[in-house]
Amino acid sequence: MAHQIEVERLSKHYQVHEKEPGLAGSLRAFFARKYRVVKAVEAVSFNIDAGEMVGFLGPNGAGKTTTLKVLSGLLYPTSGRANVLGFTPHRRQNEYLKQFTLVMGQKQQLMWDLPPMETFLVNQAIYEVPRADFQAILKELDDLLELGPLLKKQVRKLSLGERMKCELAAALLHRPKVLFLDEPTIGLDVTMQARIRDFIAEYNRRHGATVILTSHYMADVTALCDRIIVIDKGRLLYDGNFRALIERVAPYKVLKLQFEQQPDLSALAQFGAVARADGLTAVLHVPRAHAADTAARLLSQIEVDDINFEEPAVEDIVRQVFAGKVDGLSPEVESA
Amino acid sequence: MRYVRLFALFLKASFLVELEYRANFAARAMVSVFWAGVTLVGAGVFFSHTETIGGWTFNEALVIIGLFTFMGGFIQTFLQPNVQRIIEMIRLGTLDFVLTRPINSQFMASLRYSQMFSMVDMLLGAGIVVWACIRLGYAPAPVTLAQFAIMLSMAVLIVYSIWMVIATLAFWLVKVNNMAELFNSVYDTGRFPVTTFQGLIRLALTFIIPIAFITTFPAQSVLGRLDATTLLAAVAMGVGLFTVSALFWRHAVRSYSSASS
Repeated sequence: MAHQIEVERLSKHYQVHEKEPGLAGSLRAFFARKYRVVKAVEAVSFNIDAGEMVGFLGPNGAGKTTTLKVLSGLLYPTSGRANVLGFTPHRRQNEYLKQFTLVMGQKQQLMWDLPPMETFLVNQAIYEVPRADFQAILKELDDLLELGPLLKKQVRKLSLGERMKCELAAALLHRPKVLFLDEPTIGLDVTMQARIRDFIAEYNRRHGATVILTSHYMADVTALCDRIIVIDKGRLLYDGNFRALIERVAPYKVLKLQFEQQPDLSALAQFGAVARADGLTAVLHVPRAHAADTAARLLSQIEVDDINFEEPAVEDIVRQVFAGKVDGLSPEVESA
Repeated sequence: MRYVRLFALFLKASFLVELEYRANFAARAMVSVFWAGVTLVGAGVFFSHTETIGGWTFNEALVIIGLFTFMGGFIQTFLQPNVQRIIEMIRLGTLDFVLTRPINSQFMASLRYSQMFSMVDMLLGAGIVVWACIRLGYAPAPVTLAQFAIMLSMAVLIVYSIWMVIATLAFWLVKVNNMAELFNSVYDTGRFPVTTFQGLIRLALTFIIPIAFITTFPAQSVLGRLDATTLLAAVAMGVGLFTVSALFWRHAVRSYSSASS
């Protein structure tokens, strides 16, 4: 088998029942339900190699979680094919289940009333991890995540961030080869997000584990994943290098200028597209290739108080991809 | 065996949870004693008006009451908490954590949590059975005890399977708490010998919701009054219902799509 994860024209359609608002609608739905087919994932194809870290991007309801669930064997595909580590996920053979892990930021597996260690021991037994291995793995996770005192505290007394660290540890005790992380940093503060992110990167480096990550926080994806897969309304919009996407959608750098006196806008326009200009500040989009000499020219001709280059905001780029404003994205070519 | 070890681990974890809440234990023990008392006094009142009910004397009926209390305790200890948990997991989508484990999902879902305090009921029930035998001046022969062991295992299997079928319905209906309540109401009839009931009700309690196999027939077996047909019927009923529950669970898991997409 060529790739560790292979997905070929995968579709998943749900039947959901609809309910009109109000009491009358509820009553009607109680007696006669109307069904509607939702195409959560539609003919999505991609391949992922061992050790890759891939970010799934897409708005809520785009089909990211559905795809992860098909890969975890929780959902049967309506059509198409998925193959992970040589297994067909939905058969849920134990040999397959032992080799991946699923972490869902919004759902927890830890036993609420007990210290995390108790859940760890149950997982050890379920995954049949030999005692010596278990000790070694736990030691490593403890070092990386600084679990220490948390292991003996009841889960209900842990903060959200502490709980997430323990959730990750619980999910990694069987040393899975493939990690499906569904919004692992949701609701965490910035510092804790960074901690979790660093941990995932380090874990990938050490063990060469394959990681698929979905997140609403762009910072997670920019920090961790070279490659992204953009999904919207069940369809794959982009699959490829993150930087390449940025260069294609935003082939410019953002030049922020601060003036001492009102600048002449027409003079500015010759250096690049004026994105914003109000009073003493202006924002120019300057072609990436000529960024440096454009800035030099500008400085020699116009009195500038402060000058600053920035990368275009990733959120804006992705928003453009979702809005369908980017033409010529051909995912099949990208992933081939 | 791996599953036995896992079950022991589940029990340990559940026990640790209960130890977190000490006051709850005292309250639970009091509730148990109270309800056993209510059942006993109730039976006492019945028998103060008549010698026998449905062909059972007071002391014999005590065996049924003991088994009724024991099985009630079993339901409270092992079945109710897990069924509630399954319903909750289906609603919230956390069943995903069970289904992605390399282990039989029905085993994991149905035996994961237990409410050990309710074992008080099981002890009380067993005590009542022993007490009834002493009052009768009766010591069951080894063969009788063996028969009773079979009947009791089948009763356990039947009750387990019925609860699992109810829990499995939650895959489609999501909230089935009222069905569990309904079973509990029907189970209440188990404190009387099934022979108390007439006609259709008796048939229903024997074959449709087989309460008779849970209390009356095992009680008969303690008293050495079991015929071979009933024994065989109990085994068929237990194994049959368990198979149905396992197949139903498998079917449900297959058609499961979790709560949030």
